[in-house]
Amino acid sequence: MTTQESKKLWLSCGVGLIWFLIILWPLLGITPEGLEFGKTFKVFGYVAVGVVILMLFYQVQQAGKLNFVGTPLKATSVGIGKIYEITPRWILLGIVLALAIAFPLVTGRYAHDVSISVLIYICLGLGLNIVVGLAGLLDLGYIAFYGVGAYTYALMSLHFGLSFWLCLPIAGVTAAIAGCIIGYPTLRMRGDYLAIVTLGFGEIVRLILNNWMGLTNGPNGIMGILRPEIFGFQLNKLWMLYYVILGIAVFTILAVYRLNFSRIGRAWEAIREDETAAELMGVNTFLLKLLAYAMGATFAGFAGAFFAARMRFVGPESFSFLESAMVLAMVVLGGMGSIPGVILGVLALVALPEVFREFELYRMLVFGGVMTLMMLIRPAGIWPAKRVGRRSEEAD
Amino acid sequence: MKRLLALIAALAVMTLVLTGCGEEEKAGKVLRIGTMSPLTGPYAADGNDIRQGAEIAVEVMKEQGGVEGYTDIQLFSQDTACDPKQAVAAANKLINEKVTAVVGAYCSSSTIPSSETLAEENIVMLTPASTSPQVTERGLPYMFRTCGRDDHQAPAAVKFMKDVADVKTLFIVDDKTTYSQGLADGVSIAAKAAGIEVLEHDHVNQGDKDYSAVLTKVKAANPDMFYISLQNSATGALMVIQARRMGINATFMGQDAVYHPNLIEIGKNAAEGMFCTFGAIDKDAPAFKNFLSKYKAIANNEPGAYSAYSFDSTMAYMLAVKAAGSTDPAKVRAELMKLDFVGASKNVVYDEKGDSGSNYTVYQIKDGKFVPYWNSLTGDKY
Amino acid sequence: MRGSEHWIHMEFFIQQLINGITLGGVYALIALGYTMVYGIIQLINFAHGEFFAAGGYMGVILISWLASQGLHPYACLALALALSMGYCALLAMAVERLAYKPLREASRLAVLLSALGMSIFLQNGLMLTQGVYDKGYPTEITSGGFEWGLVSVSYMQIFIVGLTATLLVGLNILVFKTRIGRAMRATSQDKVMSALVGINSNRIISITFAIGAGLAAAAGIMVGLYYGSVNYSMGFVPGIKAFAAAVLGGIGNITGALIGGLIIGMVEIFAAGYISGEYKDVFAFIILIGVLYFRPSGIMGENIDDTRV
Repeated sequence: MTTQESKKLWLSCGVGLIWFLIILWPLLGITPEGLEFGKTFKVFGYVAVGVVILMLFYQVQQAGKLNFVGTPLKATSVGIGKIYEITPRWILLGIVLALAIAFPLVTGRYAHDVSISVLIYICLGLGLNIVVGLAGLLDLGYIAFYGVGAYTYALMSLHFGLSFWLCLPIAGVTAAIAGCIIGYPTLRMRGDYLAIVTLGFGEIVRLILNNWMGLTNGPNGIMGILRPEIFGFQLNKLWMLYYVILGIAVFTILAVYRLNFSRIGRAWEAIREDETAAELMGVNTFLLKLLAYAMGATFAGFAGAFFAARMRFVGPESFSFLESAMVLAMVVLGGMGSIPGVILGVLALVALPEVFREFELYRMLVFGGVMTLMMLIRPAGIWPAKRVGRRSEEAD
Repeated sequence: MKRLLALIAALAVMTLVLTGCGEEEKAGKVLRIGTMSPLTGPYAADGNDIRQGAEIAVEVMKEQGGVEGYTDIQLFSQDTACDPKQAVAAANKLINEKVTAVVGAYCSSSTIPSSETLAEENIVMLTPASTSPQVTERGLPYMFRTCGRDDHQAPAAVKFMKDVADVKTLFIVDDKTTYSQGLADGVSIAAKAAGIEVLEHDHVNQGDKDYSAVLTKVKAANPDMFYISLQNSATGALMVIQARRMGINATFMGQDAVYHPNLIEIGKNAAEGMFCTFGAIDKDAPAFKNFLSKYKAIANNEPGAYSAYSFDSTMAYMLAVKAAGSTDPAKVRAELMKLDFVGASKNVVYDEKGDSGSNYTVYQIKDGKFVPYWNSLTGDKY
Repeated sequence: MRGSEHWIHMEFFIQQLINGITLGGVYALIALGYTMVYGIIQLINFAHGEFFAAGGYMGVILISWLASQGLHPYACLALALALSMGYCALLAMAVERLAYKPLREASRLAVLLSALGMSIFLQNGLMLTQGVYDKGYPTEITSGGFEWGLVSVSYMQIFIVGLTATLLVGLNILVFKTRIGRAMRATSQDKVMSALVGINSNRIISITFAIGAGLAAAAGIMVGLYYGSVNYSMGFVPGIKAFAAAVLGGIGNITGALIGGLIIGMVEIFAAGYISGEYKDVFAFIILIGVLYFRPSGIMGENIDDTRV
């Protein structure tokens, strides 16, 4: 790096810090008792020192002074990369699956709980991936289908005592129907109009769940939902439920993988890249877009039914707009249209708030900051899909 | 490729941290108590009250010599964000921390699923805020509730309307939460039974700031009393300010959730004259005085409804452990059943279901203070 | 509702109309910022609701400090309004520079998520610096109003509607009559082309963010004064409603934002007043979806152009 470049970097860093001070001080320093500076400068001091240390580190690294660490590290990772390249795919997948199966045997309750959340979100993320990643339809109300699935199982279990395994496909079907209902009027819209309409539908579903006392018991939620059973044996331990959702997640991954490389998957990608061209090539865009909504919703329905069975309680709080936004964040952060990407995105966004539990009050502050930072570092996602063109709707 | 592998490695490390083998056991026995409440999100104010209430209880207990047999009392605070999923994760995290009791949670939708998780490990749970009858109706042996039940508070409020305030017509508004709606429904039913005409029972949504449409209805209906059942004091303040500005002349009445100094601080003149139901407190009792002075010193704020309940929950548990001489849940339960102490919110006595008695008193806001006005048990004015 | 006399119904209706216009005015002020930012870089700025909340907080901080300096209440209010608009403008420029500008070439969803992260960050930043409890506004400044029977109009309501109208006219002049406005319109049409004719598009985008956030700050103070308190999470719900209003009116269109805001405000108030309070948002969203079904680019929006969407 030239001196000039480095000078410029430090200058912009300094300007940024002064800007930060200007923004921070009025929030902390102006009180009816008078103006106060101590608190502001304390906070500012921490941030400034942190930024300067990071900058120094960056400079040193740029100057190549850290090569003694970087080079061997790089060599190792290249080596591992080579091993990864030559190992057959099925061995790698087998290792991952074996780890996933062995996981509950070596860990405790809390880890089981978090890993169950991760697997639920993998189902949700992959489902949304069909809508957003493959078909290129921005959906901000996706969590509604999750809610429909959860309430379907909750009500079936409560009123008819139906078993989980019977309700799982029913929940998928009801969610798919909901997907079609929501999908139909939105088919004419594009881009951000689609975003607000799906957001509106998501909110409508949540409000109905919260207000229709006769059906959903409103804000009180539904209690006493049955646990899944296998041959009359109740799965009442967390690690047993872990295997149930692991099964559902593996099924979802396989299904989405097969869809991805099928005629339908190609057609979805064609729609994403250029809808007009796809239509001219004979792709039935109307039906396929509806199918994308229905398929995406189905997986959310499965996840929802499991969620209800796992919590044994459903309430409208679980299906807010923020949840939709989080699932979307997982898909985009991981890499739209890519299955391993979505899984990594889920791991990152479910695990992070749990890791940050120690920060207590600062938990969500750090989380928000890290989310923006990750987007800045890898705008295309952690593991981007290979087949995304420049003409896709989202790329503008 | 390189970055990906680094990332996978980082995630693997993260998982290891997550599954972390817990802390090493320290020398001597430590009484570990967990709290669960929304520390982030829209209900952070109430969640903060709950956490502080528990902290103060531990402080007070330590000052009084702590619990015999334990070298220290430690508090572990977890965030639920009023989200059932996060609440269960928090409960599991607390189990990992080897707590023997949990004070929380705030939203009933968090308390119910997390109580089932805690029940699997026989951990005592005392909720300071979830008033849904279902919380203690499920037959969980270690579930206790220090706040009142919706179905106790409503009759007390209606008795006041009928006997003291001489209300003929009533307008009820709630904001569609388990708590606020359950209570409002109870008031509506009890009022009808008592011969008070319920002109209308309307709802607003959480997150709303503008109540003008509903308040216009209130004004047109012109009731004797306007019963406000809202989730917390902030929304309560919004409601009274807008109602007074619109020129509604009815008497206002709220419940224990809006019993918070912030209602007066924000509502100012608009809150003047409003009635609230809240537990009867013996303000001269040492426990209460201790609580109040400590709270002001540590939290730099006046205590709200939930901080008082949380203080009492934590205190009740520590007293029970003290009496039982161990944290064995069965013994602690037996001691909790025997407990009878004057807390910061009321006289705490737990019954078979785990509910604590409700002795609601009606307070009136007068000159910027909550002043006791009428006792529902004795039926006397102060 | 009691009293079946015709005039009570009439007064009830008029009062709800006034409520609707006030609420609509607030939504419109927030929606203007959304629509301007969208118009220029096609970004749904999720952090916009947080600018609104920050403006509300800055207002109460400044009003109470200035009042303690012994200033006349109206002078306090005017000064606080101006300063917090400036403050939020600075905040928005910083957010834009930090979180959006590096992603100018990235996919639009990446920017959307960056905005979401910023929204969470700012909301929690406000919570940590300002505390979890609501902050009360000195409502005495603007108390009082007119009253005719059931109908009452407070000075504050007149103030809100007046300020919305003034800012809207000012904004229209800015966008359609000044050099900066021309540069903004050029940038929103074609960034490369406008750069070729000598427009510094980064600066224009920055200015657009600043203006949008300034309007949000004004709305924040209005809301604080009108409703009596501000809260760190208050940006979220109005943010979504204002976004809906902007889209309903035709996103990118200034007059559309006003119309959209008024429609959403009116529908909410009338649904709550005549049908049911708990379902009012459902009606607002149904109207939104219905309008977009028949006019997919909003009321005032131009026809969808493939290259812009």
